[in-house]
Amino acid sequence: MLTSAQWTAVWDGTLITLEITAFAIVVGCLLGVVLALGRLSKHRILRALSWFYIWFFRGTPLLLQLFMVYYAIPIIYLESTGSQLNIDPMVCAFITFSLNTTAYLAEIIRAGIESIPGGQMEAAKAIGMTYGQAMRKIIIPQTYKRLIAPVGNELVMLLKDTSLVSSIALSDLLRTTKTMANASGNWLYYLYAAAIYLFLTTLLQLGTDRLEIKLGAYEKR
Amino acid sequence: MSMVKVEDVHKQFGDLQVLKGINFEVNPKEVVCIIGPSGSGKSTMLRCINRLERITSGKIYVEDELTENRMNGKTVEKIDPQKLANLCLDIGMVFQNFNLFPHLTVLENVTIGPTVVKKENAKITEEHAMELLEKVGMADRKDEYPARLSGGQQQRVAIARALAMNPKVMLFDEPTSALDPELVGEVLQTMKELAQEGMTMIIVTHEIGFAREVADRVIFMDDGVICEEGRPQDILLNPKEDRTKEFLNKIL
Repeated sequence: MLTSAQWTAVWDGTLITLEITAFAIVVGCLLGVVLALGRLSKHRILRALSWFYIWFFRGTPLLLQLFMVYYAIPIIYLESTGSQLNIDPMVCAFITFSLNTTAYLAEIIRAGIESIPGGQMEAAKAIGMTYGQAMRKIIIPQTYKRLIAPVGNELVMLLKDTSLVSSIALSDLLRTTKTMANASGNWLYYLYAAAIYLFLTTLLQLGTDRLEIKLGAYEKR
Repeated sequence: MSMVKVEDVHKQFGDLQVLKGINFEVNPKEVVCIIGPSGSGKSTMLRCINRLERITSGKIYVEDELTENRMNGKTVEKIDPQKLANLCLDIGMVFQNFNLFPHLTVLENVTIGPTVVKKENAKITEEHAMELLEKVGMADRKDEYPARLSGGQQQRVAIARALAMNPKVMLFDEPTSALDPELVGEVLQTMKELAQEGMTMIIVTHEIGFAREVADRVIFMDDGVICEEGRPQDILLNPKEDRTKEFLNKIL
């Protein structure tokens, strides 16, 4: 059994895991919509920029991105300005996970928007809506139900991937239990981590399942 | 004054010439039916009027105001966007596949235009919407989602949705083509009532009986040109052009 000090450590680690996940998914959804619209834009430069962003962040390992933000940026900063930059690892995690998730969510959202029949945009324009109004009131709301499953997927992956932050000295859930396992030589500490990850992902899955049913109610005949 | 005027309109999709110099004019309160074989450019013509398609060259006027003046796919005369938006609001459209917004109830489908586009007061909009739903016989289904309605009911709601913007002219793009035969009548009846109230209507249709009964004028299009136009009894009963005769023989 864990001592109460160990429970506190596990709890703190879990909070770090949850904070990074929550921050990244919120920022990712917001930036993801912007990027998705960029991908669908008429303007070639916007399309190219969005494509480039997604290409880069999906095409390189998340761990590498984390290292780049954590190690490379202070070095570049030192080279170019001559002064030290100390980045809080938590801030690094927020930035990296948000940027990375944005790329995946952008593609999910873009596919969602493209799955809405073209007649919907035409009908919205025929009653005088601008592109922005049609997107906000007609097109994007119809994607919600279709986005739940893939976004839920992304959320579960994200939650587990946050364990990578142990490599930049953040004591998240996995690293906390690893420290305990190493100190005691008892690998069973990892089971606590596994149980908590499973518990959290189960909650996410149940939540997204229910949300999907609720958001799709209008499709019922 | 004319409600809609189309001058030498050409439309090309890539190498395909869909409209090859169309001219016509629709007067206020007039009901014009456009008939013709599939691929003759009828729907494209209609969609060009409210700019769902941009014409390749020619001019379009709405209420005597220029809305399009293009040449070889380029705009010749730029129209003030605000003015253009206002003119487009005077054009309502009803689609073959209804295109109701599935995530909104019947009532919300009708109110969303005025609330979002005109920023109208919610209470006034709703009262107006209920009047329109009453008129198309859908008031008792106001809280249903479109998925639970028949095609005919959806199309009647779509008509109410277009009318909610108080258009001066209504475009109908084969409004009954996607309906089961037994549902066609209710939609045509609604359209007939609208015509009797004096709405200006341009209707692309295959319903020859309806055209004969309701239209003031029939336009027969084939292969991107207007072959023949005139009073319904002349065009539909005594067509002069061989192509019109051939088409009518096929569908009647």
